[in-house]
Amino acid sequence: MSTQPTPRGDDKISRRDFLKLLAAAGTVLTFTPFVDWGKFLPNQSGATNEKSKVELPDGSQANVKTFKINHSEAIIYPRSDDAALNKEAFRTWQFIRLPQELGGEKNDASAFRAYSMVCLHLWCLWKYWPQDGRKRGECPCHGSLYDPLTGAAFAGPASLQSPPSNVLPMLDLEVDKDGYLWILPPNWNVNGNGIVGFGRFIA
Amino acid sequence: MVALLHKENSLVRLFRWIYSGLDRTIFMGLKFTFPTRFVSPLGFLGMLTFVIFIILGITGALLMLWYEPILDRAWDSVENINDSIPYGFHLRNIHYHASNAMVMMAILHMYYQYFSGRYKIRNEILWVTGIIIGVLTILEAFTGYDIIFSERAELAISIAASLTNSIPILGPDMRDAFFGAGFHDFVLRFYAFHVFFLPIALIGLMAVHFPRFLVFDVPMVMAISGAIMITGGVFPVDMGLKFDPNVPPGITVPEWYLTGLYAFLRSQYDKFVTGVAWPGIFIFTLLIIPFIDKYKKFSWKDRPIISAIGITSIAQIVITTYWGFYIDPDRTKSLLERLVIDPIFLYSVMLALVPLSFGFTYLMIKLAKNAEANAKRQPKRTESPITLNEKWIYLVFIALIGFQVYLNIAAYYALLAGMKNISLFIIGIIMLVFAGMFHIYRHGRTIANNPLPPSIQYSDKIKSLQHRKASLDESQDKPKLTSSPENVLSQIKSNGLLSKVFKVASKNKNSFEKMWSKD
Repeated sequence: MSTQPTPRGDDKISRRDFLKLLAAAGTVLTFTPFVDWGKFLPNQSGATNEKSKVELPDGSQANVKTFKINHSEAIIYPRSDDAALNKEAFRTWQFIRLPQELGGEKNDASAFRAYSMVCLHLWCLWKYWPQDGRKRGECPCHGSLYDPLTGAAFAGPASLQSPPSNVLPMLDLEVDKDGYLWILPPNWNVNGNGIVGFGRFIA
Repeated sequence: MVALLHKENSLVRLFRWIYSGLDRTIFMGLKFTFPTRFVSPLGFLGMLTFVIFIILGITGALLMLWYEPILDRAWDSVENINDSIPYGFHLRNIHYHASNAMVMMAILHMYYQYFSGRYKIRNEILWVTGIIIGVLTILEAFTGYDIIFSERAELAISIAASLTNSIPILGPDMRDAFFGAGFHDFVLRFYAFHVFFLPIALIGLMAVHFPRFLVFDVPMVMAISGAIMITGGVFPVDMGLKFDPNVPPGITVPEWYLTGLYAFLRSQYDKFVTGVAWPGIFIFTLLIIPFIDKYKKFSWKDRPIISAIGITSIAQIVITTYWGFYIDPDRTKSLLERLVIDPIFLYSVMLALVPLSFGFTYLMIKLAKNAEANAKRQPKRTESPITLNEKWIYLVFIALIGFQVYLNIAAYYALLAGMKNISLFIIGIIMLVFAGMFHIYRHGRTIANNPLPPSIQYSDKIKSLQHRKASLDESQDKPKLTSSPENVLSQIKSNGLLSKVFKVASKNKNSFEKMWSKD
């Protein structure tokens, strides 16, 4: 046992203890590969390295030349081949062209926003209201209000939640030379594009 | 026909053979007791909890044949079970009400062990595993009502997920790993937890949690089953509204065993503190309480501080449970205003309950000790048990069988008429009648085994004594077998090593019998 005095002095490790260390190292190494098996658990279907189209409900790709200012549509991202999965609230995003006063008349990606429609409070689907005096995202359930410019909740229960749960996840957009809109590969992290139903830190 | 009852037929022999074969299995360590008279169910609430667990296993397994854990089909499949599948309504209601009964029974079981002081001194492992089983039971019930995917289920899922998210650093990754991303994953994974992960963990823990002495009281088990069915008949569980993310939900509250937690969440204070830390501290306190309890005595009256802590927890649970249900009925206010509970109000009430409960406990202990002292001074009241004689036993039994026939017909007619809840209610009554019948049966058997003195003829008694003497003389002539049970027993007793074990075992047995004689 380790408590017994070793005959060759205290600074030297006994054979028995050395053998124990070897056994411990072997055991650790034997089970090391299974740590990575944890990847089995999370759903990685949202991870992609490719750009995807901003596909409007009518099936066309959104274009800066045709999409109206101060207007919004619900888009599905990531789109699945399974119609049932496309109904999933976690795949619905509010695609907004900002009103004029917030820079919506520009013909680049800065005039557009795509936020997760899942309200950060209790996961109802909020939507953008373009009427004068509103021009904000409103949740029908408990009245959380979202700023279309940043995706931050400024009133209602979602605004009372501590960061990152007070800012909506957001997709990065890009406009090509023909004016078509694309969704850049997302980084599902609170410091990146955010986590749907949870939130995002504003950089 | 009558001769058949006396003869030991091959079926009885088969059962006896199986029973003796169990000697070589793990069950030889268990001692089952089937009480021959009424005993208070407080002592075997754990066994009743287990029986309800078995009821849940059977009904749940049957529901699995029709339930579909798919995002857009879950609710519809439950509706199909409830409305269209024959006896689906019955099984769903039994499953639902049994889940509530199991949680309730587990809580009662826990508090009985707590106040009777049986949770400490070599019972710590039983207590700690019991607490873990209790937490898993609540999670099991919780995942169950989530997979219906009604509005209320969605509220529960989103609270569960956001509480997991709120855990510092690891939260979002944990949510992703356990619950997946999106409602499709949530429904499927909660289903997997509900039907496999949690039950298998529960069974494993139960194997550790089971004490060696078990009481199986048939009338009480049947009465509990009947009560579950009657509750299902009187309060059939509704479907709720199918969850649609585009439709604002009505006001929903969780199941009663979670409204206490819900009250804290509704105070809008930090989610992690209210939803994870508070219940975590509560569970941790329960886990360590047998190691804190340093009283040498067991009775709640002799452990004032521990009893007061228990009373405080009950008071806080009752009040927060009610508070979680209460929603301001004033519809002119906004929904949020009606839902939010003022945290200062809530927490000051929780704090005020501590001295109140301590005072209440001391008062109760004083009263109980006073009553004890008074009872000692006064002459003992003579008990007057209800004893039916043989004739009345037969009459009551026949009347109950007649009632059973009537109830069977009534239950079937109710089903034919489409009154499923009435049919479930009547089947519950049938269970209760069986409980009564079994009680009368065992009472009759006790009387038959111990005939009342006046009914014995004097000459018969002499005859039987003579007969016994003759048989005893006969047996003395025979050579004794060396391996008779008595011999083995005396060998064990004389063996120095084994005698200690034997003593411990017999001590346990004594304390166990004492436990029952109290009731």
